[in-house]
Amino acid sequence: MLVAILAGLIVSLSSPALYKMLGKWLFVPMALLPFTLFIYFCAFLPSVLQGHTFTSEYRWVPSLYINLHFYLDGLSIFFALLITAIGTLVMVYAGGYLTGHPLLGRFYLYLSFFMMSMLGLVLSGNIFCMFIFWELTSISSYMLIGFGHENAASRYAALQALLVTGMGGLALMAGLILIGNAGNSYSLSTLLTRQELIQSDALYLPALLLILLAAFTKSAQFPFHFWLPNAMAAPTPVSAFLHSATMVKAGIYLLARFNPIMGGTPEWQLPLLIAGSISAVAGAWLALQQTDLKAILAYSTISALGILVLMIGIGTDKALAAMLAFLLLHALNKCTLFLIAGSIDHATGTRDVKLLQGLGKSMRPIAIAASLVSLSYAGVFPFFGFISKELLYEATLEAESNAPVSFIIVFVSKVASVVIAFVLGYRLFWRTSTAPTVVRHPCGRKLYMPPLVLVFLSLLFGLLPSQLATPLLNSASGAVLSRGIQVDLHLLPKFSMALLNTIFTFIVGYLAYAQHNRLLNVAPRLLPLYNTGPESWYQQAITGLLKGSVKLTSMIQSGYLRSYIAAIVLVHVGLVILSLWGEGPALNISTRLDQLLDVKVYELVLLVLMVGSVFFLFRTRSRLTSIATMGIIGFSVALLYLLFGAPDVSATQFLIETLTVVLFVLVLHRLPPFRFLSHRYRRYKYIILSALFGGMMTYVLLLVKQFPLQSELKAYYGEHGYMLGRGRNLVNVIIVDFRALDTLGEITVLAVTALGIMALLRLRAEKGGKL
Amino acid sequence: MNHLLLLLPLLMPLYGAIFSLFFWRNVELQKVFALQSQVATLVSCILLFMAVEDKGILTTQVGNWPAPYGISLVADMFSCIILLAGSVTGFAVFMFSLQGLDFPRQAYGYYPLMLFLQLGVSGACLAGDLFNMFVWFEVLLICCFVLITLGGSRPQLEGSIKYVTINFLASSFLLAGIGIMYGLVGTLNLAEMALLVRILEGHESLITMAGMFFLVALGVKAAVFPLFFWLPASYHTPPIAISAFLAGLVTKVGVYALVRLFTLIFVLDTELTQLLLSVIAGLTMFIGVVGAAAQTDFRKILSFHIVSQIGYMIMGLAFFTPYAIAGLIFFMVHNILVKTNLFLISGVVARHYNSFALKDLGGVYLKQPFLALLFAISAFSLAGIPPLSGFWGKYMLAKAGLELKAYALVGVSLLVSLLTLFSMTKIWNEVFWKKKPDETEVALLSPITNRMLHMPVVMLVLFILFISLYAEPLVHLAYRAAIQLLDSDIYIRAVLYQ
Amino acid sequence: MVGILFGAGLYLILHRHFFKLILGLMFFSLATNLFIFVVGQLTRGGTAIIEEGSEEAVEPFSDPVPQSLLLTAIVIGFGILAFAIVLIRRVYQVLHTNDMDNLNETDKIEQPIYPHE
Repeated sequence: MLVAILAGLIVSLSSPALYKMLGKWLFVPMALLPFTLFIYFCAFLPSVLQGHTFTSEYRWVPSLYINLHFYLDGLSIFFALLITAIGTLVMVYAGGYLTGHPLLGRFYLYLSFFMMSMLGLVLSGNIFCMFIFWELTSISSYMLIGFGHENAASRYAALQALLVTGMGGLALMAGLILIGNAGNSYSLSTLLTRQELIQSDALYLPALLLILLAAFTKSAQFPFHFWLPNAMAAPTPVSAFLHSATMVKAGIYLLARFNPIMGGTPEWQLPLLIAGSISAVAGAWLALQQTDLKAILAYSTISALGILVLMIGIGTDKALAAMLAFLLLHALNKCTLFLIAGSIDHATGTRDVKLLQGLGKSMRPIAIAASLVSLSYAGVFPFFGFISKELLYEATLEAESNAPVSFIIVFVSKVASVVIAFVLGYRLFWRTSTAPTVVRHPCGRKLYMPPLVLVFLSLLFGLLPSQLATPLLNSASGAVLSRGIQVDLHLLPKFSMALLNTIFTFIVGYLAYAQHNRLLNVAPRLLPLYNTGPESWYQQAITGLLKGSVKLTSMIQSGYLRSYIAAIVLVHVGLVILSLWGEGPALNISTRLDQLLDVKVYELVLLVLMVGSVFFLFRTRSRLTSIATMGIIGFSVALLYLLFGAPDVSATQFLIETLTVVLFVLVLHRLPPFRFLSHRYRRYKYIILSALFGGMMTYVLLLVKQFPLQSELKAYYGEHGYMLGRGRNLVNVIIVDFRALDTLGEITVLAVTALGIMALLRLRAEKGGKL
Repeated sequence: MNHLLLLLPLLMPLYGAIFSLFFWRNVELQKVFALQSQVATLVSCILLFMAVEDKGILTTQVGNWPAPYGISLVADMFSCIILLAGSVTGFAVFMFSLQGLDFPRQAYGYYPLMLFLQLGVSGACLAGDLFNMFVWFEVLLICCFVLITLGGSRPQLEGSIKYVTINFLASSFLLAGIGIMYGLVGTLNLAEMALLVRILEGHESLITMAGMFFLVALGVKAAVFPLFFWLPASYHTPPIAISAFLAGLVTKVGVYALVRLFTLIFVLDTELTQLLLSVIAGLTMFIGVVGAAAQTDFRKILSFHIVSQIGYMIMGLAFFTPYAIAGLIFFMVHNILVKTNLFLISGVVARHYNSFALKDLGGVYLKQPFLALLFAISAFSLAGIPPLSGFWGKYMLAKAGLELKAYALVGVSLLVSLLTLFSMTKIWNEVFWKKKPDETEVALLSPITNRMLHMPVVMLVLFILFISLYAEPLVHLAYRAAIQLLDSDIYIRAVLYQ
Repeated sequence: MVGILFGAGLYLILHRHFFKLILGLMFFSLATNLFIFVVGQLTRGGTAIIEEGSEEAVEPFSDPVPQSLLLTAIVIGFGILAFAIVLIRRVYQVLHTNDMDNLNETDKIEQPIYPHE
């Protein structure tokens, strides 16, 4: 399986090169890729249906327990077949839809890369392997949604989708780590056997919430649904692929996958029920108010996803079987509908339902496909939609709790589907019209064959449920429940509540369709209401982030050096105080005072001299005076060194001090005279800070001095300095011999300084030289 | 036993620099010398790395004085990994500067300065002596000063004055800290210090206090909040070849020293230091990324992101488990490569469009798809998108944090990761996807120039892809390095009792 | 005394004037050096020079280690200070200001770019 996925990735990466070679025939290898994979998975089908699972593991990063581990069971093969089958058709379609587009090679790259990530996602047997593919789908969908990259709306939509799903991705990462810690394994098959361990973990609830967040963002559940309609900015084949069988279904797959591990508890079911219900109803309601074909489909996708989540939330055998059946149906039909919408757009240049009419004659193959798929979508006998809808109704009616509520929700969603089916299958094509919309670009074979094939498939699944759908769904739902179940699908309806409801749905649906125009007229007036929805929260968050960040940054990074330094010093003082707080050894003041009294007169004189000059320095306005004063202080320090037995240091200090003063005078003599630039208030603040800092340093110094030092080094150098270093001046011996490397560094510093000064003075880069 | 290998990463850049200085007037010859010593440095780092991997920690007593009395050079896994990453970026930046830097700057000592800078980096990474580390830091710092001001354009000077002042203060703190440590334990050798600190009774809080001096001083150099101000003020001002190297490597040396000292010496009052480090890490990450969100200049965004990612590294130090430290090391390597590369890419873009401002740029996606690809790989790696290298570091740190129940900090780090993605897509949207604004002029570069500019970027991307797709070796190495770091006995034994 | 030097140095750095900044830096480095010196043992009189004829130093002699560190530190400090002085001069020449507060160009933030539909 690794080979299959790697091969796919290689083909996808080579697509720009292939485009140069093959031109418009690029779609052939790109469609062959999913088709081959489809056949490949079909070969596994018989044994998987008998309950076997296949695993293959390749070591990747074993230190982190993240391996390329693939796991093929009923659920993953179900998804894999869907992805590859629909992938094949979308690839063909895209070849027709984007003929001659200069970036077609890149388009196929992203699309097939996306498909391979999706495949990897559903095949992963290691939860982090799954996570990696999960993120790859986010990234590749970002590229796909932003394909029309010169259009600001596309960029906006792509960013939005990426941020929302990216947030979910991060939640997923945290959640998976928690699950991995709780279950002590990253292997899906092991985790499946450790349900109790995980559910009894203290962090079960946070992990669960994180996983749900991930699934809801990916599957566009309320309140994260808003990215999906915006993602319609992508070319239609992308929408068809992303919103039917892939991207949004990844969230559903995640929920289905973790249902046996995390599920069966109220904490798991309740959020699913709530989010699913809201999304199903809101999606349906919003879908009916759109006039853009793709928007209608997008919102109805949200509604359908809501139903799927709701079914997982109900969690009974019947509900899960119904979920999978509906998922299959939705993948087939929604893809068809999108492709049809794309063809219409391609042919007429508009997607506005109000403008389009009378297309039945001019676009006959498309029209046929549209009508048939609408029948299936609405759930008419003998299409697969019929079976699926029956199952959904049955599942809600048999639900353990809240049966009426979930029934109503499914009902609302289904009514909306019926209305949409009327619009797409009848209104656009067959309603008598005086001025049919002009078809500018007739649709080629690549544009109408894929929808027709898909329609045929949903008819086939409807006609032969027990041969085709039942085994597939049973093995898949077996994986979702981690035990075998048997749900037989029948085309021929038993007389039941469910059937009655179906008929009832049609009646209400027709009535609703009759009122549809009126609703469309009202819709714009409701816009202000929608503008306060979750999408506006997102916008506010982004704007807030940007505004807040500007404010915060200009506050912190104010550009004033003195505030920077004040902050740094304050932090330092604070940290030192913090570290000494409480348990720190107190300063023994009395002994210190004794030492303080033990001061020789000339030392005192020096001290007084230094303090005096410091204060003088503060007062003076003349530069020359201050330099001189500075010199006095420096020399005093040098004298101090001398007094305490450091003649070398003292000599150096004298030298350096002299040099500094000379340099100072030479270099800075041309600066304008002093002015006191600070405000009085600010000056006091700085005086306090400086005093604090000075005091702290003194305290630290005295504290450290309180502990007499037994330096091994001193003794060693005293003993061996002469013998080993051949020098009487220990300081010199140390510098040139024991610690010669320091001296090397020192010389380097001086050399570089010289270089730098030279460059500074001589090299004047051209004005505004940036590069 | 003396290992000459340990000296090579110091000597190679030093020789190169000195030779280049001899031929001050002949820039072409300088290039040749620089190339030779870059390659030699790289090779010596590889050799050293292989030796350390084979035999464990290596030490050399410079001048053959026994351990605490002379200066020890110590190479463990951690320092080798950082050295290696550093020399790779050094090489890449050198390649880039051949075409990416204007001639006057090249003529005024750019090449020897770069080599001196690398000398400082190598020294700081290998020093087994506190004061020696300080000296190397100063070497590194003065090189940075000079490089940042090299050319003396207005923004450079403005930025550098802040850089110089703040880092000067930090050096003073560092020096004072060294003084305190000497006053307390009477030694400068890191290994012996670690040993003495353990037996020093009743002085814990004093040692912690000394640790605060180092925390502040190295914190400034590593650019953590609230000490990072100099970085966004200055890093975007010099030419790209310079800022790429500084951005990629120099702050990480600060992190390196922090990690070294806080795993070896200041481990007593772990409760306080870890709390502190956690707070610092969280704030650094957050403030950095928020700062980046506010920016509208390619390089400024990247500069603020440096700060944010330093926060990630500090987070690893705060967690203080083998797993977290391993994550930190992985993250450092990843960051050195990726950050340098992003800066280089911004340089390539700017060479074509003569601007770093997002509003002036656009359309690179159509014009230079290959460059767009290179950027996408680096940027998504920075944002931690799997399976690129940033993900592995992020994952290891997050996992370590969750195991320690540090939920708040992990939460912040994930949020920061999302915001990083936001910033990276901002660049992508504005520079690559957006249509090129009409008034922007596009400079025509000769194919050779163009290729020379791309080459280092491609090289770094290959490295990034290597540690992304084949992460196992580095993860494993990082883990071994972390074990070495956390068990300071190994270090002490290797240095003192050989 | 060290405290006073530190405090004074910082106070000067916090000023807006370039000139004072440099003086402050000088103070700061002086203070640090003195700090190191004092933190090692203060010994009156005895230098760390071995008497003629003897092979070992005789107590009391001052600790040679901080002294040697100091030597290095002083020189390094000088190097950096010298650079800073020249830098300040260049800044003044190029920017024609000696007010630190005028140097905040590089930290300026432009209006952010809002993603919009």
